[in-house]
Amino acid sequence: MEMEKKYGVYLCKGCGIADAINFESLHKVIKKSGKIQHIKEADILCSPEGRALILKDLKTDGEGINSIVVAACSPRVKYEEFDFPNILVERCNIREQVAWTQEPNNEHTQALAEDYLRMACARIKKAEMPEPYQTECDKTILVIGGGTAGLSAALQAANNGYQVVLVEKEAQLGGFAAKMYRQTPSSYPYTTLQEPVVFKKIQEVQNHPKIKVMTSATLEKLDGEPGLLDATIKVGGDVETLRVGTVVLAAGWKPYDATKLTKLGYGLSKDVITNIEMEEMAKAGKIVRPSDGKAPESVAFIQCAGSRDPEHLPYCSDFCCTASLKQALYVREQNPNAIAYILYKDIRTPGQMELFYKQVQSDPGVMLTKAEIAEVGLGDGGKLRIHATDTLLGENVIFEADLVVLATGMVPRTADEPVLNLGYRQGPGLPDLELFSGFADSNFICFPYETRRTGIYAAGCVHQPMNMAMAMEDGVGAACKAIQAAEHVAAGMAVHPRSWDETFPDPFMQRCTSCKRCTEECPFGAIEEDEKGTPFFKINRCRRCATCMGACPERIISFKDFSVDQIGSMLKSLDVPEIEDEDDPLAPLRVIGLVCENDAYPALDAAAMHKLRLNPMIRFISLRCLGSFNMVWVSDALSRGVDGIILLGCKHGDDYQCHFAKGSELCEYRMSKLSETLDKLGLESDRVIQYQIGHSDFDLLPKLIDDFVARVREIGPNPFKEL
Amino acid sequence: MNADNKILVIGGGMSGLTAALEAAEAGSQVIITEAGPYLGGRVAQLHRYFPKLCPPTCGLEINFRRIKENPHISFYTMAEVTQVSGSAGNFDVTVKVRPRYVNDRCVACHACAEACPQWRVNDFNYGLDKTKAAYLPYDMAFPQQYVIDKSACSSDCGQKCLEACAYDAIELHQKPQTLNFNVGAIIMASGWEPYDATKMDNLGFGVVANVITNMQMERLAASNGPTGGQILRPSDQQSPKKVAFVQCAGSRDENHLPYCSYICCMASLKQATYVREKAPEAEVYIFYIDIRTPGRYEQFYWKVRDDENVHLIRGKVAKITQEPGTDNVVVVAENTATGNKQSMVFDMVVLAAGMVPSTKASPFPLPLSYTPDGFVIQDLLPPGVYAVGTLKGPLDVTKSVQDGTGAALKSLIALGRRS
Amino acid sequence: MAGEILIKPDLQFVKRVIAAGGDTVKKCYQCDTCSVVCNLSPDEKPFPRKEMLQAQWGLKEVLSDPDIWLCHQCSDCTVYCPRGANPGEVLGVLRQMAIEKYATPPVLAKAVGDPKFLPLLIAFPMILLALAAKMFGYLGIPEGEIVYGKMFPTLLIDFIFTGAAAFAVAVLAKGALAFWQDINAPHPWRVKVEGNLAGNLIATLKDILFHNRFRLCETTYKRSTNHLFLVFGFIFLAMVTGLAFYHEWFDPHGQITKVYVTMKLLAIPGTAALLYGIWNLIKERQANAEKAGYGSYYDWFLIYVILVVGATGLLSWLFRLVGIGILAYPTYFLHLTAIFMLFFYAPYTKLAHIVYRTVAMLHARMSGRGF
Repeated sequence: MEMEKKYGVYLCKGCGIADAINFESLHKVIKKSGKIQHIKEADILCSPEGRALILKDLKTDGEGINSIVVAACSPRVKYEEFDFPNILVERCNIREQVAWTQEPNNEHTQALAEDYLRMACARIKKAEMPEPYQTECDKTILVIGGGTAGLSAALQAANNGYQVVLVEKEAQLGGFAAKMYRQTPSSYPYTTLQEPVVFKKIQEVQNHPKIKVMTSATLEKLDGEPGLLDATIKVGGDVETLRVGTVVLAAGWKPYDATKLTKLGYGLSKDVITNIEMEEMAKAGKIVRPSDGKAPESVAFIQCAGSRDPEHLPYCSDFCCTASLKQALYVREQNPNAIAYILYKDIRTPGQMELFYKQVQSDPGVMLTKAEIAEVGLGDGGKLRIHATDTLLGENVIFEADLVVLATGMVPRTADEPVLNLGYRQGPGLPDLELFSGFADSNFICFPYETRRTGIYAAGCVHQPMNMAMAMEDGVGAACKAIQAAEHVAAGMAVHPRSWDETFPDPFMQRCTSCKRCTEECPFGAIEEDEKGTPFFKINRCRRCATCMGACPERIISFKDFSVDQIGSMLKSLDVPEIEDEDDPLAPLRVIGLVCENDAYPALDAAAMHKLRLNPMIRFISLRCLGSFNMVWVSDALSRGVDGIILLGCKHGDDYQCHFAKGSELCEYRMSKLSETLDKLGLESDRVIQYQIGHSDFDLLPKLIDDFVARVREIGPNPFKEL
Repeated sequence: MNADNKILVIGGGMSGLTAALEAAEAGSQVIITEAGPYLGGRVAQLHRYFPKLCPPTCGLEINFRRIKENPHISFYTMAEVTQVSGSAGNFDVTVKVRPRYVNDRCVACHACAEACPQWRVNDFNYGLDKTKAAYLPYDMAFPQQYVIDKSACSSDCGQKCLEACAYDAIELHQKPQTLNFNVGAIIMASGWEPYDATKMDNLGFGVVANVITNMQMERLAASNGPTGGQILRPSDQQSPKKVAFVQCAGSRDENHLPYCSYICCMASLKQATYVREKAPEAEVYIFYIDIRTPGRYEQFYWKVRDDENVHLIRGKVAKITQEPGTDNVVVVAENTATGNKQSMVFDMVVLAAGMVPSTKASPFPLPLSYTPDGFVIQDLLPPGVYAVGTLKGPLDVTKSVQDGTGAALKSLIALGRRS
Repeated sequence: MAGEILIKPDLQFVKRVIAAGGDTVKKCYQCDTCSVVCNLSPDEKPFPRKEMLQAQWGLKEVLSDPDIWLCHQCSDCTVYCPRGANPGEVLGVLRQMAIEKYATPPVLAKAVGDPKFLPLLIAFPMILLALAAKMFGYLGIPEGEIVYGKMFPTLLIDFIFTGAAAFAVAVLAKGALAFWQDINAPHPWRVKVEGNLAGNLIATLKDILFHNRFRLCETTYKRSTNHLFLVFGFIFLAMVTGLAFYHEWFDPHGQITKVYVTMKLLAIPGTAALLYGIWNLIKERQANAEKAGYGSYYDWFLIYVILVVGATGLLSWLFRLVGIGILAYPTYFLHLTAIFMLFFYAPYTKLAHIVYRTVAMLHARMSGRGF
């Protein structure tokens, strides 16, 4: 539904804006752009009076204005005051970016404010009201894995009224939790071992009317998109395809392969076992030496068997310290005269688990020391000799034990297999897991459930190394995200990080050349190809970063309120004065700053809060993400006579900060292509540069921009300026 | 039941925001009450997160945007829950909102602060500097609205702020407000306080000038902190070239906090990188009992450990004094690996002070079960009430967020909401 | 690997430490707070952390570790211990076990440390003294002027107490010698001694006399003062006794009678100092119990014996002065009983610390450990 747009521009005079800028010439600039003739000023636009002024104009029986430019403060503030339902609002930030960071009342400041108005007018002209993309969606939650995390995810999702399909590869539910003799305490006072609680959960899950439990079942294939996922599940010889909405990946872990731990004696003697084998023995009822079936008088637990070792697992497996403390109690409980050694690098019982450590420590027969294990060998009388260095007891010491237990760590299921078996062009598993040592983890501290596959959330030990209590909570969290994603896709809204966004990429396919850049670059694998190789969007997988828009050389991908053409129009709207004297240090260069709206843009606002001076030659345009940067903008800008372009985006690399994972990195990649082109054209490639700017780097901005402007000045004005 | 699908989240820090947003984005109405004047809580005071060394304000920016865009969330700052009655699905909650003395006409222009003649200790910067009595909690505070600290006001200032404000934003006669809500579920997310380091009489805090806490270190490193991001020691504002980090300053100690505070090892390793980044020639010593970098944090530990200017010594510091005649600090510890007791002189010492749940000092207005250390015992919570993050035990940000997300779903279930 | 030590923990040893009052020993998690806050502990291989470790691992060698004697139980460690492991108390227990180890016969040391043997330990000197009085003096309340010699002739006293003291000295000497050998035996955790034995011994004794180490205590600083009173009380009394002995046996012509009569007055300040010291020591222990620990039965055994020695000594004198025979003689009898217990049991009670601590401090001085 195309509505006829009626424009209004509202200028705020408060916060020092009117003291810095001449409003009369602003009026002229706005009116010059055609279509927009309705301009009003207010002393304090955000005040109730100012808002009333706008509201009056919005009345359909009055002016009937439906598209407004608010030229006042940053869009990050006064958001409620300038929120008008069903009205297109373009915020033009002449407070932070002009009044608070520029010299008042000089020609540069005036020119800057005018350009911001020009761009805002250009932007609103190219914007439309979003209309959500809605399809008939299924909201069933598929839970992969029936261990602690999977069970709790399934149960809580079902308790919240959602249908759940629980797929477990083994014949029984419960995972490792069901194989335990005892559980480490999960509640205050953290002193006594607990009976495993998992069996109660299994029963609840099995009896829940909303949960379909499939055991001895594997997920063969997962096709489609959130809300419309087709899960092909193999149960025995049968294959079944089920429609589901979103997914909780709780595939769990397997113990690290102890045969790789020959240095620690595994394989040398039957009496060197893993913590899993120890647990099985304890559950079976008696802890014995496998070699002779006798109850051990001394048991040595070797911590970090594989974990925290660059040759094996480069992480701490989190649960092994408490597991060994627990198993030391098994040893002591079975034989009050037995000794249990725990040889550790560091005892890791974070948080309140410290109280459990303290409790176990107080047992007279539990002996603890820090130690680096040099070797485990055979001793006299069938005993094992553990040679250790750097212990608290001395530099080189030997311990003798009847039984050695290796506290082997965990390896997430996703380390070796895709598990999800996605029918996605970009591959069957979650991408980039090598960054997380194979765990299906998020790269974001604040958003630990994020993955690069929309609607799929990991929980439990496939997610991060964690103990059972945490896995139980983690399952609930992942279920919450899965429910939320199911609801959002059904409503035609994006999920994190633009969880409010109702726009979506709408390609003009007639002009598509099937170059596949979008399909390759989409960080979320949202774009597939048909048999002919023509891309098509799986909108429900899309996160609205607009990386596709930036990638597309044909510039055919647009969002209702964000498009290549829109930014291009803004660039073209700029007033680029001629340079009369190149050597004049204040000659009016024009530099464009394309900035990430989540990080660099707020940093600019912060610079304004600190009243730092920013270079008056630069005009900032905010982008959803630098991933949306389309190279055509460079030619748009350069042909307009712009002298330089600076891109401010998030840090990339292994510790990337881009909330669309790949945006700033892909931008940098495009920049490298661009510089080749510019060099060929005889244009200096360092006219266009990208910087990594964090949210808190406001203090770096003035110098960074000044230096760039100086560099551009050094290169000289854009030769196309006169054309 | 007339709870109208509402969830009350107490605490606007990272776990509270998460719980609120996740619940709201799953379709519920949410009210957040925050005791302080801004949202974001403790993480807003951090320079960077471990292990990525990214700024916490980045994630807050997203969360604030989510709040701004979501019509289902409302929030109240300077608000405390004073009374709760009822049960799951139908709680009556009384919230007391303390006066801010600045209304939402405020545009953060700073005129009031400029006019204000009175100073107050800046709690946001842990007392490392001062602000005016009319102040913005920090540069990027959300909401971007000033506050007047009446306790720092003098009666004879002549209402200078009122005269200076061109926006009618100042209301010096605001009264505390009482609000009543009916909600179906309550999520407690009031977070933690740093342990009072003056209580450790052998570690010199408050006596030896150049002994600071880890949270103070965060503020010193932050570009919006008291030193503009330069790490300078308090006594003479010089850049310290030899810095000691004292782990378990209060934690794992029955005389103080018997539990491990979870984050301090990673925090000190992180802060070692601050020191090294700002002063490349600086030497860092970390004194510890056990290095606790669980899970994938291990790799961050390796990275810092491999820095040749970072020295890790297994041994707890139990004595800190001022070096006579200088501003330097003498630290005594035994290196348990070599079995030798060493006195070492440092330019500055950072105490890795632990976490105390906010419920230790201010219990929730419902009869709940707490551990002797003030943590909420989850298993004994009444139906419809959930505690998240560090209220249940020390935790890092990521796991608090995971926990907050789970609590959101549990609250939705408590509302009896069905899809 | 070269120089490897085989670690042989002894669970029974751990249990004994726990049973003897070191029940907190396992709580130690080796943070080193104790070694740092201890003002007495040397920089190189400081105590008590390593002793705590050995004790909790059941490594019996710890009993031959001289460092357990360098500890004066200031309890600064206990106050600051983050785990409530009370190193001060545990080392006290280890010292008790070391005394037992080096005592002959060890069973007597065990008896001293066990409350159920207390009646026996008291009964023994009482019966001995009663028999002696019956046979050589007078067991009852003698008529006339109160002269304790009527009950126990001087000769008898001299015989019994010289015997008891000689026995104690012999047992202690044997123990001290064995201890000296043990601490000088090659062991990876031990250090070697060098220098002049006599010269160092004198310096060590001087250190001990003035409590130079003890006075470094913080938590129990007052205890060191009280202990100093106690020690000087003993010294004064010992001087008076010694002079009396000399006067009696080696001064037939009464050449030093004048001196003796004057010097005898030293018994008054001596007794006062002793009583003041022990009384305040008790009070200090009670007041400080929460911080520094209450102490074991073994500690209190000695404290009460000394208290009784002092109190009965004073009362015997007072009763004699006011002439209440019915109270004076029994009190005197008790006084002798207590003195006998003090002397005869010395190798087994905490009093043996005089010897072992001296040896250990001498060793520390001679091995450059700052003592």
